[in-house]
Amino acid sequence: MRLSRGFVRGEALSCIYHGWRYAQEGNCLRIPAHPGLTPPDTIRVAMQPVEDGDGIIWISAGEPAAGPPRFDGLAPLRSMMAETDIAALEAAAGTKSAAGLLDYTHNAQTVQLLLAPEGQARTLMHVLADEDSNPTQRIAASRAAEALRRAAEHIRAAGSPNDP
Amino acid sequence: MTRNAMIDEWYPVGLASQLDVHGRKTALMGEPIVVRRGEDGNAKVTGGNEHALPACIRYGHVWSSLGDPQKPLFAIPEADQPGRRLVDVGVVRVRCSPLRAVENFLDIAHFPFVHTDILGSEPHTEVQNYKVEIREDEDEVWATQVKFYQPQAAKSAEGGITTEYMYRVPAPTCSILYKTCPPRPGEWDVITLFVQPLAEDLCNVWPWMALFDDETPMTDLIHFQQTIFVQDRSILENQIPRLLPLDPGMEIPTRADLTSVAYRRWLKRHGYTYGAQLVAQ
Repeated sequence: MRLSRGFVRGEALSCIYHGWRYAQEGNCLRIPAHPGLTPPDTIRVAMQPVEDGDGIIWISAGEPAAGPPRFDGLAPLRSMMAETDIAALEAAAGTKSAAGLLDYTHNAQTVQLLLAPEGQARTLMHVLADEDSNPTQRIAASRAAEALRRAAEHIRAAGSPNDP
Repeated sequence: MTRNAMIDEWYPVGLASQLDVHGRKTALMGEPIVVRRGEDGNAKVTGGNEHALPACIRYGHVWSSLGDPQKPLFAIPEADQPGRRLVDVGVVRVRCSPLRAVENFLDIAHFPFVHTDILGSEPHTEVQNYKVEIREDEDEVWATQVKFYQPQAAKSAEGGITTEYMYRVPAPTCSILYKTCPPRPGEWDVITLFVQPLAEDLCNVWPWMALFDDETPMTDLIHFQQTIFVQDRSILENQIPRLLPLDPGMEIPTRADLTSVAYRRWLKRHGYTYGAQLVAQ
């Protein structure tokens, strides 16, 4: 079971299945089935450096030399999962990612997308909008991202007829 | 790999109450099968090319096998005890290994976290020591003297009680739970988990119950169990790896997991590996 399915409780990360709690250093703090037991130090989870950059949470597989990218003038709006790859998203947008962002315009609404692949066929899309945009514009930006996702998933489905 | 020993076991393939002459299409271990009522009233199960498969009706369900069962279906003596209500809960399709579905059923430590305020609640999370054995004569896994504090142990329970459990695994994808019976101390309620392996990572779960409870409407009894199993499904469909590991790997078992440890050992000993992962990853 992935810990990402669990919850942050106090200063610990709690697993959704059996409630094992992990500290920020990765060591196990508590095994609820055995409340009298001090978990041995060998029970620990792998750690990754994490940083909050202007509302976007970044992790790194290794030790990064610099901080995460900054996107001046943009504010994170929402994240959504697309059942497709980055190539299909770029094809649907009619453009390529530049400086880490995919620029997409739909019904005169421009939206910026930060794309993170999840395996071969899924992409986590983080939607960014102009930080000065009003709620109506942000809703339109959100709809634009959904339209791009639909178009990209359609491209992928059409391109692989054997895919269920 | 030699012929999998699980081929010759009995599996649930449908509800006896829903048998009809038209038949219902389903699958068993990757093979398409059809389950219907024959002209003589008995269950008929056929595989590819109308090939007749073994069939019997027991415990509310139709049972079949792709192989040649060497034994009759396991006994549940309580099922024939007068005064019990027999509850067909129906089917829950779960995208998980059939063995993982059974293992989750044997686990009590998740109750406060997955079945919060029903089968368990914080701070009552401790799993006290219990007894586990592989009974050689019956060739079954048994866990006894399992005790757990439950806010609402059954539909008939009023308020929290410490419930006593016994678990039995008589077949690789079937488990029987004996549980404290609130309205009738001294008797055990029987709750079973019958799992139909559709594929190594896909199953139909058919819970069934034989309860001493004359009060609760049948719909409520069914809803109670369905609520529990749908909560389990969200866990089962997200387990990694999808197949049940039979060799020590990344997992760290504790005393609370001794039933699971015995179940895995028993599966491995018999070569019951459909839905299992043998090489640690």
